Amino acid sequence: MLADTWYLFGKYMRITIRMPWWSLFTLLQPLIWLVIFGQLFKNMSQLPGFPTGSYVDFFVPGVLIMTVLFGSSWSGVSLLREITAGAVDKMLVAPVSRVAIVLSRVLHSAVQVLVQTLIILAVALGLGAATSVNPVYIAMAMLIIFLLGVGFAALSNGFAILLQREEPLVMIGNLMTLPLMFFSTALMPKNFMPDWIHYVALVNPINYAVEAVRAVLVGTPDFALYSKGLLVLAIFAAATLAWAVNAFNSLRD
Amino acid sequence: MIQVSSLTKIFSSGTKALDELDLNVKDGEIFALLGPNGAGKTTTIRILSTLSGFDSGQVIVAGHDVDRNPEKVREAIGVVAQQTGIDYFLTGRENLVLQGHMYRMKKTDIQARVKELAHYFELEDSLDRLVATYSGGMRRKLDIATALIHRPTLVFLDEPTLGLDIKSRKNLWTYVEKMNRELGLTILLTTHYLEEADKLAQRVAIINAGKIRITGTPDELKNTIHGDAVVLSFEQQDHATAAFAYTMKSEPEIKDTLWQGNKLHLYVANGAESIPKIALVASQQGLTIKSLALSRPTLDDVFLKYTGSSLTEAKEDTGDEWWKQWAGKGGGNWNKKWANDAEESTGEAETTVQETQQHMTTTNDSEKDEGAQPPATPTTDTPAKSGGGSPWSPAEMEAWWKQQGGQPQWPTEGGGATPPPEKKD
Repeated sequence: MLADTWYLFGKYMRITIRMPWWSLFTLLQPLIWLVIFGQLFKNMSQLPGFPTGSYVDFFVPGVLIMTVLFGSSWSGVSLLREITAGAVDKMLVAPVSRVAIVLSRVLHSAVQVLVQTLIILAVALGLGAATSVNPVYIAMAMLIIFLLGVGFAALSNGFAILLQREEPLVMIGNLMTLPLMFFSTALMPKNFMPDWIHYVALVNPINYAVEAVRAVLVGTPDFALYSKGLLVLAIFAAATLAWAVNAFNSLRD
Repeated sequence: MIQVSSLTKIFSSGTKALDELDLNVKDGEIFALLGPNGAGKTTTIRILSTLSGFDSGQVIVAGHDVDRNPEKVREAIGVVAQQTGIDYFLTGRENLVLQGHMYRMKKTDIQARVKELAHYFELEDSLDRLVATYSGGMRRKLDIATALIHRPTLVFLDEPTLGLDIKSRKNLWTYVEKMNRELGLTILLTTHYLEEADKLAQRVAIINAGKIRITGTPDELKNTIHGDAVVLSFEQQDHATAAFAYTMKSEPEIKDTLWQGNKLHLYVANGAESIPKIALVASQQGLTIKSLALSRPTLDDVFLKYTGSSLTEAKEDTGDEWWKQWAGKGGGNWNKKWANDAEESTGEAETTVQETQQHMTTTNDSEKDEGAQPPATPTTDTPAKSGGGSPWSPAEMEAWWKQQGGQPQWPTEGGGATPPPEKKD
């Protein structure tokens, strides 16, 4: 199974590397958000109770998570394309591990967003964000980002198999990303949120990801907060992956 | 190699895709499944290649039960589906190597096999180019090569030449034959090109509406049509030729009639004896026969015989509509049979006739280009024969016409009958 995953992963990576413009294109949106939100909410940091000195410092973890969401939530669209093109059938008639087919796609998507977030992080640092440059902390943040990428790519692939059509899949992709984004501390600190959103944030994996990334990258590292996020995201990634594999196995008509 | 018994598959929509299908493919043969779209060809291949489940029956492929031992079946088979499934953004070599890994072959073995297959399919020069730059024929060849990478003993080819030009198609045929002859592969191919089945397959099964209608060598199948085929071609198909066909159909000596483009096929016990009579009737009706040919039945004729009876399934052909429309204007048996159509407004019916004729012309043209096609027009039901076989005289013929009353008629000298309405443009 691992070997199958590796070879299929290699195939997707190769295709991605041959079309670097497409990967760069998905970076455009988080970049724009970084600049716009950074400017728009600049003065918010002067409000009493704001946790960091500048808004950009606060926002960097949020924009990293955004990059993950925009990058991985469309993974299912290309699965649908592969199904239509007969590529999935071609894999299925081979004695290849069924788990590997889903796993390789999800891993590819997660690795892709990992590279993208690193680029965004570099840009943010270039714009003067005072986030941590300690490689250990960055690696810890990347682990969170990887798990979140796996989770959302798995969700997208799972929905692709269930829905079998692109239009509703795109709709669900939007629904998964944008509202959940605002139900987290990506843009707004916790103490600025109304209570009810606070409760929604408690069950929102995106919130845990933002908090965990912020815990290691911004200000004094908070390992308790980080560990909590890591645990939640590991469970989230495992559960969504299991669900997607299960959906894929039931694809046989 | 393949043993299928009472295979039934019902789609979730409730459609019965396969209905108690039985199939037996021997080791080392090329076996063709011939049928119109929606007959169940692809469904059969999907079940045999472990892609689809089924509701009842038993399926043994390469000595293993597809339900209990799918992994063993997968190792023994190579599948070339209708959609190519090869990756356009990889090179030919990368596609082949990846496929080799999917079958868990050793690296050195994959290298050797890629070289061998590239040579076999003459893809050596383009092996390191992206598949996106390949022509349709090359993609097909690469697709087949990827299916052969693990040295399967059985290969499924689902509509292998669909969408290829004539040259690529002929080229592919030689490969299929070579694969069977030189590599000893058992090949199960599906097609709706009659010529393809006739040329390639040692045995052919005609499938329609989820059932195998008949199986045999192409010659055996042709022999099921007793007698000869007389093919008359006309300048065009219009009300006069339609009326002529109707006359022919009602004669006991004519066992069956069918239209294919502007050609009218008549099946008779003895072609040589019937031709003069047929020609006589035609000239009496003022028709010019452009050419007339007498031949042994082809697979084309067999196909019509075994699938034409259930026209409702062969929806891709609008030929039946044509008959219905004409029948709607007539009377007698036709009127009873197509009562619903007769109620339709005449104007609407005429438009359809015109459209259908255009459709037929198209079919005819493409036939010239691409060889045999599935029939554009179905057979009509053979009228009940009473005793049958006795030759008829023109006088008898005329008497019969008059007797028909409201039937499709044509102008005869002094007859004064109204011809079927002209089609409007």
